[in-house]
Amino acid sequence: MAQVVLKNVKKSFGAVEVIKGVDLTIESGEFCVFVGPSGCGKSTLLRMISGLEEQTSGTIEIDGKDVSNAEPSKRGIAMVFQSYALYPHLTVRDNIGFGLSLARTPKPEIKRRVEETAEILQLGPLLDRKPKELSGGQRQRVAIGRSIVRNPKVFLFDEPLSNLDAALRSQMRIELTDLHANLGTTMIYVTHDQVEAMTMADKIVVLNGGVIEQVGSPMDLYERPATPFVAGFIGSPKMNLYEGKVAEAMGCATYGIRPEHVVISDAEGQWTGRVRHVERLGADTIVHLEVPDLGPLVARVEGSRTFEPGQQVKATPMAEREFRH
Amino acid sequence: MTRRQLITGLISLACAFVIFVIPFIFVFINASKSAAETARLSFALPQEWRFWQNLVEVVQARDYQLLLAYFNSIVITVGAITLLVIFGAMVGYVLQRRKSGWNKVIYGFVLAGLMMPPAVVPTIWVLQGLGLFKTLHGMILIQVAYGLGFCILLFRAFVSTIPRDLDEAAIVDGAKPWQVFFRVILPLMKPVTVTVIVVQSITIFNDFTHPLYYLPGKENVTVQLTLYNFQSQFVSQLNLLFMNILLVTIPPLLVFIFFNRQIVAGMTAGGVKG
Repeated sequence: MAQVVLKNVKKSFGAVEVIKGVDLTIESGEFCVFVGPSGCGKSTLLRMISGLEEQTSGTIEIDGKDVSNAEPSKRGIAMVFQSYALYPHLTVRDNIGFGLSLARTPKPEIKRRVEETAEILQLGPLLDRKPKELSGGQRQRVAIGRSIVRNPKVFLFDEPLSNLDAALRSQMRIELTDLHANLGTTMIYVTHDQVEAMTMADKIVVLNGGVIEQVGSPMDLYERPATPFVAGFIGSPKMNLYEGKVAEAMGCATYGIRPEHVVISDAEGQWTGRVRHVERLGADTIVHLEVPDLGPLVARVEGSRTFEPGQQVKATPMAEREFRH
Repeated sequence: MTRRQLITGLISLACAFVIFVIPFIFVFINASKSAAETARLSFALPQEWRFWQNLVEVVQARDYQLLLAYFNSIVITVGAITLLVIFGAMVGYVLQRRKSGWNKVIYGFVLAGLMMPPAVVPTIWVLQGLGLFKTLHGMILIQVAYGLGFCILLFRAFVSTIPRDLDEAAIVDGAKPWQVFFRVILPLMKPVTVTVIVVQSITIFNDFTHPLYYLPGKENVTVQLTLYNFQSQFVSQLNLLFMNILLVTIPPLLVFIFFNRQIVAGMTAGGVKG
């Protein structure tokens, strides 16, 4: 367990500054998720914490020690890669034990620790297989096993679930959350998928263009987004955001309302719109409206309600749920 | 299979037969004849099969020189291949993975090694200066110098197909750079390593001219040079010459037959990503 502290960390590739000064504290035992669109610098930030990328300026502390210039293996971290990065020529057993064998750990101890890890991740029967004989989910577990076996102070995950199908992804989300609960280790997790961020994180760090937009708990970010970017990024379908005259009429620079906070009715409402498109998801129905006063408006209603394209409806935002910036 | 495929297949087989198999049969038949019969250089079957006698005679010629030649050729081939694989793989790996200003300069040297024709006399002069002329290890270094450029290109292309994540995973696991190379990268380069071993061992084993220039001396003879034993201005024992050709052709032929699939795999594996 260790606290991770970043102080004014910057990173440039040539003339391009990709991380423009990040100050962040990740508490011991916390599950922290870096989230943001492609190219926002979240992976670069993670790689700087791991030591695979050197920061241009600033300091990184892990467990109270300045590790800014330390080798990755001396930082007490373990990393799970998006591509799993399993060694194809080694068996699962050797993959998991690779780090220990490099550290010249005695063979009986390697065997014991690999088997303990395999038990945690239910990899026991697969220990003598090669990575190519495993499914995506099993490979992911081996990659996690390779991290666990070294007892790191901090786990780093670089979009570990993005190569899995939707069903497996949701299963692995639960497994990772359980793992965090069992190990209690600090985990830093990078994803561009805000669902992963919302479901797993204790703390979410939203990054955009190399700067931190907001740090907070998932519900904090959902309910009290600090910027229009965070408001639009967190939540699915994304928040309806309006600028210009619409926002001015509401007395702000940016006005937003989440689809689930729009009430649709046939009889009365603040805005009148025409149904353009209907997405029926079963439990919910997403209704895309064209409102002359606003522009496009998306609303989420119960799955039992039916709408026809072209139908005229009334829409009303829930007053206490509006976002004004 | 369509009719067109069948016809082109048959034509290709026929061409291959004429180009590769007929000469081999010719050598085999003439290696089984007596000296007088072989001198006629005909395709006729021998009147008396002397295959075994000719074989013994070739092996025993000049106090079993062929066996010494096999020993020398194998030492040179094994030594040179070992160095080519190790250095080729190392340089290819570093050139592909580490981006530095020096890469272009090093790459220039690699290409120069491929393009510039070897100059015999200056090379002998250098070898003499280093005390390596007429030595097997001198010959090994010459073969390494001639083959290294090609090997580096093959290894470099192959390394680009190995994901960089593997290097990084090993670094995070605590591997030093040499451990990343020897424990992760080198084992993954098996296909291209087999290619290099096969292609270069055939080239080096079959090399006639370089040992002729750089490795004179009876005790330094290599297999290809033993062909001179049976050919001179006034006496030529063509039957023994053909037998000798047969004996020196068989080892590379076997290597080629058993490894030809891997050669193609290694050559093309690097071709996807440049």
